[in-house]
Amino acid sequence: MDSRALSERTWLVALARVGFVGLLLLLWWIASLSVSRNLIPAPSETWAAAQRLFAEGRLQSALLESLTIYGSGYGLAILVAIPLGLLMGAVRLLGRVLDIFVYALSATPRVAFIPLIIVLLGLGFEAKTFIVFLGAVMPIIINTYAGVLQADEELVEMARSTGAGRFRIFARIVLPGAMPYVIVGLRLGATIGLINTVVAELYTAVAGLGGLLSIYGNTFRMAEYFVVVLTLAAIGVVVTELLRLVESRLARWKKDL
Amino acid sequence: MAQGATQGREPGTPRLSLQGVTKRFTRPGGEQSVALNNISLACEDRTFVAIVGPSGCGKTTLLRVANGLIRPEEGQVRLGGKAPRPGPEAGFVFQSFRLIPWLTVRRNIEFALEELPLSAAERKERALHYLDLVGLARVEGSYPAQLSGGMRQRVALARALAVEPMILLMDEPFASLDAQTRELMQMELMAIWQRNRALVLFVTHSVDEALVLADRVVLMGGGQVLDDIEVPLPRPRFGEEVRASAAFLELRAYLWGRIRDLVLSDPASDFYGRDPAAAQKEASA
Repeated sequence: MDSRALSERTWLVALARVGFVGLLLLLWWIASLSVSRNLIPAPSETWAAAQRLFAEGRLQSALLESLTIYGSGYGLAILVAIPLGLLMGAVRLLGRVLDIFVYALSATPRVAFIPLIIVLLGLGFEAKTFIVFLGAVMPIIINTYAGVLQADEELVEMARSTGAGRFRIFARIVLPGAMPYVIVGLRLGATIGLINTVVAELYTAVAGLGGLLSIYGNTFRMAEYFVVVLTLAAIGVVVTELLRLVESRLARWKKDL
Repeated sequence: MAQGATQGREPGTPRLSLQGVTKRFTRPGGEQSVALNNISLACEDRTFVAIVGPSGCGKTTLLRVANGLIRPEEGQVRLGGKAPRPGPEAGFVFQSFRLIPWLTVRRNIEFALEELPLSAAERKERALHYLDLVGLARVEGSYPAQLSGGMRQRVALARALAVEPMILLMDEPFASLDAQTRELMQMELMAIWQRNRALVLFVTHSVDEALVLADRVVLMGGGQVLDDIEVPLPRPRFGEEVRASAAFLELRAYLWGRIRDLVLSDPASDFYGRDPAAAQKEASA
């Protein structure tokens, strides 16, 4: 495909996305008219509520609070999970011993650990960060590990035939080959981490965006409630789009001329 | 490419020698299979040796034993008078090219040079020199995905040549190319080899390819050398006058017949006990 046709299509996709947002707004507006006013606020009311929350500074402070927890938990998960996944893949024995526990832990609903975490770490920053960490760490470990195991045996043999040692083969063949898997893990981890941020804010000391959700939800202030939901959606979009950008930068070599 | 042609060995000893080499593999079911069965072979410098034989006869294992990628259970392998170790002493060309997809063409070649005592600038210069030799200097910055199959295999050939090895090991290198590209690659290889002769071990399924390229054709079956033929044809052999000559056709018919008999008599083969030619005769009778 030549690059002009590709960029034309990119424009088309962007335009269609804007159109889709318009369609959603329309459906939302129709829904707000047909369902009782107290349950679904009109887009205009939501916009007014957003301006109000922003002017009061409540949205910003909640956003900052949530992003701090999300960033700390997710960052910690990356720092632990990538080295651990690589180690499990590089040292086969370690991988075979540990992988079943990783799979078991990742299949357990992490919400089940919250009471225990509260007992151990309290209701504050540490507990919240740990809940985010626990959600984000598993998919990153599992995908990094899978990426190392999927290493291209033919390329490894080629590298061996040139005299490359184990370390150089790992660093130059296995690790770059595992990157697409690592990125998938980071994307899954980002999503679960965001979910767990809200869960943590709802179940421990009520704070941040999760805290606002619970306050406005319980008091039926639906316009404000919708503002918080949309803010969370925006965080999700920004984070996953950033990771997509990283991915396409890393995968430049996949593109045809 | 013939760098270090005399280092580390007595004059008169062959460049590559295998003596009584046996290599067994354990199949996933626990069943043992013999890839090389007490094989002995000696190859001199500046010789183009083609290895032909039915699938599973041990051709590929032979190449891997020759550069030390696989260690045999029994017997002795000597490359330049020493036990072979994987490295720049041998250049390996694989059927599936095996270029590193996330490196540019030039960096793919530089990767193979990293075991040599060269500076980064020297590696770059050497990579460009060998890319130029295969006529691909202009795509040095491209990624493998952007090249055709024939170009990828030329890059792989440049990578193997760039280490200036004492032996070039080629494992069905042109088998995945289309017929025209394949013939052009054969010509290209011959042109390079005649300028800069090294010992080449060339595994192929194609009897024609073996006869067009090689000084010597080794027929393998069941992990053993069954025949070892000097090819007396004049070079170059790409013209019809050589391919249609009585000597070429006779050798071709002989090798084809041997390989066919090996396939039909091998219990592990899909064609075991069947004789398509005889069946056809019967049907038309």
